[in-house]
Amino acid sequence: MKYVPLILRNVSRNKIRSLFTGASIAVSLFLVVVLYSLLMVQDEMAAGAEQYNRVAVQNVQGLTGNLPIAYVDRIRKLSGVRSAIPMSWFGGRYSDEKTTFAQFGTDPRYTFDVYEDYKVPPEQLKAWQADRTGCIVGSLIAKNKGWKIGDKLPLKGDIYPVDLELTVRGIYDGPSSTDREMLWFHFDYLDEALKKKNSPMAGNAGIVMLRATSAGKIPELIEDIERAFASSDAPAKALTEKQFGQQFMEMAGNVRGFIRYTSIAVVVALLCVAANTMAMSIRERTREIALLKAIGFSRSTVLGLFLSESVLIGMLGGVVGAMSAKLLFELVDFSKAMTGMGWFYVPWSTTLAGVGLATAIGLISGIIPAWRAAQISVVDGLRRIA
Amino acid sequence: MSDHADSVVQLLNVSKGFFREKIEIPVLTNTTLHIPRGDFVAIMGPSGSGKSTLLNLCAGLDRPTTGRVIVNGQDLGELSEARLSKWRSENLGFIFQMYNLMPVLTAQENVELPLLLTPLSKSERRKHAAASLRIVGLEDRADHLPRQLSGGQEQRVAIARALANDPVLLLADEPTGNLDAASALEVLDLLESLNAQFGTTVIMVTHDPKAARRAKRLLHLEKGTFVQADLEALEATR
Repeated sequence: MKYVPLILRNVSRNKIRSLFTGASIAVSLFLVVVLYSLLMVQDEMAAGAEQYNRVAVQNVQGLTGNLPIAYVDRIRKLSGVRSAIPMSWFGGRYSDEKTTFAQFGTDPRYTFDVYEDYKVPPEQLKAWQADRTGCIVGSLIAKNKGWKIGDKLPLKGDIYPVDLELTVRGIYDGPSSTDREMLWFHFDYLDEALKKKNSPMAGNAGIVMLRATSAGKIPELIEDIERAFASSDAPAKALTEKQFGQQFMEMAGNVRGFIRYTSIAVVVALLCVAANTMAMSIRERTREIALLKAIGFSRSTVLGLFLSESVLIGMLGGVVGAMSAKLLFELVDFSKAMTGMGWFYVPWSTTLAGVGLATAIGLISGIIPAWRAAQISVVDGLRRIA
Repeated sequence: MSDHADSVVQLLNVSKGFFREKIEIPVLTNTTLHIPRGDFVAIMGPSGSGKSTLLNLCAGLDRPTTGRVIVNGQDLGELSEARLSKWRSENLGFIFQMYNLMPVLTAQENVELPLLLTPLSKSERRKHAAASLRIVGLEDRADHLPRQLSGGQEQRVAIARALANDPVLLLADEPTGNLDAASALEVLDLLESLNAQFGTTVIMVTHDPKAARRAKRLLHLEKGTFVQADLEALEATR
């Protein structure tokens, strides 16, 4: 502790340099923390969903294929299935908006049984179930778009050759691990519209989402489902909700790998920047280091002093960068600007890991310069012209 | 040894050479020196005669090629690097030509620097540093940074720092080399009074015959060996 004032004075002796080094660490850490939060929050959501024992059934061709709607009833009858619903991604455009958001045709009778973690007031659920053109929307998207119960939502079909005229009958909510930016409507309403247009898409659901009676039943259920439809025209593949979610990440390529390698590159670049700063700082202080050693500071004390400086700069940069990321996504609502990203937040665990990473960067980048400082010869150092 | 029991510094048959491109350049040759406790010795000699090397050997900052260096009863050759650091912090005070104060620390904090290595509490360190600054007459400049002080004042702070741990031996390498005549005089007065009042042994390397005159004893080094000093002749050549 008695060396703290000396360390602080040395860190702040060249304020501009310390500021720029700290800032480069802060900005990079901000980026790393945000990128890693994407992975962490998705894992968190998947882990949160796992306790509800949901299984997604899709065409073996993947998400481009469909499943006959009759599969829903057949799946409901399988042993170990608590309930099942069709889920058809409509992908329509609302009003004049250029981007779409999650809209699913489903079965209102069982939706909140399969998605038990999502909550809706009973009277709103009843109103939705009773209205064939009714829909339920997530609390976040309702807030961002200013929707309220009774509002009409015209959706222009993009994937499907039909337009829908929906009425908001309820607003669901849920914990942070749930997606509160979806819209659910009656699958039957969509299917009737497709039949009227003689569309070959009629009579098909995108996927079937089911809820198993217990987690232990899931492996057996997956086998049963795949076996049951193996020889049909539309063979099915069953996935746990977590595996189903990972598919989307994989569709965008190896996003996890990309984030990891980007983060590693950022960390390596930071190590070089911080090490260079420390090396410069030490070169400028050769005489002072020699003086410290002359008056009795041991090599290990000199090493400790310089490592502490480096760690302090790294830690301060990390605190600023990681906390900025945390506070920014905590205080500013980005869901309006980035529809579909309303689930995103920066977890405390990632924030603290970011601070830890920055501290480690400070420590590692300081090792070689500090070691060299400790090795400086007193005689040579004192001869050096400042 | 018994003849020199009161010696603070003993150099016994010390030789020191430096290697430059594999060729050894001798700096000190078979030098023997005894400096009794309470002495004030000035060492003079031309550049390259081995004055600073001698001082570095006495401080344990460098090791002799052959021979022994004994300071305050301790054979420095027996100490490891780490123990030598600790020994220096307990026994020596340094004064340099360039003052070598930490520019980011105040006068008070600079004086406290060697005390950080002692078990003294913060308040005790402050008290010691304040007392040292009082001795050099700079107690009113305790909160000033080195850049806010004159050269003479900086050197007095450096002297206060050298005194802070109550050393048995004060090593001064050209302490007046960077000062104007008035400041040099102040510093020499100070060294003289420290030696006279506190009995602190002082070894001062200098090029200045006037500074050398203030010492009790003058040693003259030439080509690594001590020769008879002739101050008058030296002064005449300046």
